[in-house]
Amino acid sequence: MEIRINNRVVQVAEGCTIWQACRSVGIHVPTLCYLKDVSQNASCGVCVVEVKGARSLVRSCITKVTEGMEISTHSPRAMEARKLNVELLLANHPQDCLICDRNGNCELQQLAFTLGIDSKRFVRTRKEHYAKDDSSLSLVRDPEKCILCGRCVAVCGNIQDVKAIDFSGRGLKTKVSVFLDQGLGNVVCTNCGQCALVCPTAAITEKSAVSQVWAALQNPKKVVVVQTAPAVRVGIGEAMGMPYGSLVTGQMVAGLRRLGFSRVFDTNFGADLTIVEEGNELLHRIKNGGTLPMITSCSPGWIKFIEHFYPALLGHLSTCKSPQQMFGAVAKTYYAEMTGIDPRDIVVVSIMPCTAKKYEARRPEMDGAFQYWKETLNLREEDRFFDVDYSLTTRELARMFRETGIEFTRLPEEEFDSPLGESTGAAVIFGSTGGVMEAALRTAYELYTGKKLDNIDFRSVRGFQGIKEADVNLNGTILKVAVAHTLKNAGILLDQIKDGTSPYAFIEVMTCPGGCLGGGGQPIPTNAEIRERRAASIYFEDEHKQIRKSHENPEIARIYKDFLNEPLGEKSHHLLHTHYVERGY
Amino acid sequence: METLAHVPVSGIILDEIIEKHRGKPGMLLTTLEEVQEKNPLKYLPGETLAEISKKMKIPYTQVYSVATFYSYFNLKPQGEHTVVVCRGTACHTKGSKALLDDIAVILGFKRDEDDTESSYTTPDNLFTIKTVACFGQCAQSPVVEVDGVIHSNVNSQKLLNILDKLKRGKSRKKT
Repeated sequence: MEIRINNRVVQVAEGCTIWQACRSVGIHVPTLCYLKDVSQNASCGVCVVEVKGARSLVRSCITKVTEGMEISTHSPRAMEARKLNVELLLANHPQDCLICDRNGNCELQQLAFTLGIDSKRFVRTRKEHYAKDDSSLSLVRDPEKCILCGRCVAVCGNIQDVKAIDFSGRGLKTKVSVFLDQGLGNVVCTNCGQCALVCPTAAITEKSAVSQVWAALQNPKKVVVVQTAPAVRVGIGEAMGMPYGSLVTGQMVAGLRRLGFSRVFDTNFGADLTIVEEGNELLHRIKNGGTLPMITSCSPGWIKFIEHFYPALLGHLSTCKSPQQMFGAVAKTYYAEMTGIDPRDIVVVSIMPCTAKKYEARRPEMDGAFQYWKETLNLREEDRFFDVDYSLTTRELARMFRETGIEFTRLPEEEFDSPLGESTGAAVIFGSTGGVMEAALRTAYELYTGKKLDNIDFRSVRGFQGIKEADVNLNGTILKVAVAHTLKNAGILLDQIKDGTSPYAFIEVMTCPGGCLGGGGQPIPTNAEIRERRAASIYFEDEHKQIRKSHENPEIARIYKDFLNEPLGEKSHHLLHTHYVERGY
Repeated sequence: METLAHVPVSGIILDEIIEKHRGKPGMLLTTLEEVQEKNPLKYLPGETLAEISKKMKIPYTQVYSVATFYSYFNLKPQGEHTVVVCRGTACHTKGSKALLDDIAVILGFKRDEDDTESSYTTPDNLFTIKTVACFGQCAQSPVVEVDGVIHSNVNSQKLLNILDKLKRGKSRKKT
């Protein structure tokens, strides 16, 4: 289609919006509320352009191009209106950028600079000052910084189908609220953090534990061990200024050592352990007529979702703890015994692409190691400790690296410590949607058939399609499996179970779009293109691993020989498995 | 003043009301409206909103969003009498601000000048005072609505009489 943009004749795709048309010819019209694949509210008025013949300026994010349209993206009128709209937003927005979590990575700050806004033109119109909402264990909301773009509402409602937040009030009193304004920690929020990922400002951020981790690192009495989730190695590089999806496993390990962690371990060890337990659990359920389909339980946002919205289906969840929690429990029991370190002196820090992991680490039942040691060490209730002490997001780790001045890109590649740093390709792919399924199939196939699996790449469960299906032939027995990412897609599979029409034996659910690599704790921005690059790096690492099946991890074999005895055994039951809570709606 | 115990509308009545409006366009609005009317304190307590949400299978936040958007809905208990002063342009030029100030003096409360949508309920729970942007009765401005009845060309004396009568319990016009 031929149109004119800024007096130049250009060819653009039919049916696209003005914004997309401009983008396709190299003009970036600024926006605040519009976010590809997430929201198109046309509420901010920043993307206005002048169209010949139109009575008023039009919002380029929602207006489609028509044949012969004459668009001016930076006519004086458009520029003035755009600037004015941002100046109006700044009237009620705090000006404390220096001490803001998003300083340097804020779309509003960036836009004010880009548009050359050099003074505060309008006085504050809202009399009321909103308090921060820190009732959640994972997220902090600061309504003062909210510009009402509606991205968080869109992602929570349309992508996750949770609808924990929505607009309340009207006019000047409009704000993003939870039901009855009773605090994010007291409602159906799953802590997925997708809202924090799409927020243009710091109105929603993770609840930081950076200062507590520094304090632990500086305490000479503590042995501070760190575990890193698979998706962090393909995200942290971005936050340190490297290209999207950079695979930086070795540099990350080196950097963590330089931060002062005593041991740098890998959540992937926990992931391999999860697969061995979960694979056995699946086979046990199949052989003994247990509840099917069995659904994975690694993603804590998903766990809280099913607890709230489908409590009757909790029996379908695998009882396996997530890799983060398995790791924590094992670090403070198996590793403590092996090294003779008092478990009370071990601080387990996890680096996660996730905000919900903070909540998971504080679930009351996640104190397996404390229960394990209670009698032996004569522990009282006030000595109680959690298996995982602090869970940081990828973004928080980047903050720590920056604080130290470590030049991340110049770090050498180093190896994880042994034994809890040993892992396989199967564990790496936990970071992508479909990865847990593929890893489980690699192990379940060999456990079930007793035969060696030659082609270990289950490509049908890879990729970013909302729901993926596969039939797996286990020696003539067909295992039907499904993989869903985002809670909306999970809901579709749960409704099938509810209706009795689910054909599957095994389902993987990941809370966030793309799986953990698109998690709510990952670097900002995270979008479809960036998720693709991170996934490519994850599967690259899998391919280049020597061992690619969880049950072949020699350290996993060792922990069963020396400590756990057998999968689903007595010790596993106490340390590696859990139960769920009917929260209801 | 949260001294009054909350009085939720019973589940049976809720069911009836919801059933009556089910499937009709704008059913949430009409349901909320009728449920509020059924409440003796003319408001929608949190647990009622939660019940409505569950029974109608509409997310909590959406119900809350609607209930907070329309000034018609009250989330706090209302006084026995509701006085609504019009603050539209016509009424303003004919002195509605002075009327509002008078009411504040008569009933003894302090008005927030900047808050155009504030609602105030007297400690004895007799009066709730509100403002509205326009009643559409500009020809008879200034107008004040008392318990659903619009009083035209109101002046201070007239207003004093109305409030006095209500205080003495003599006039209880209800629509």
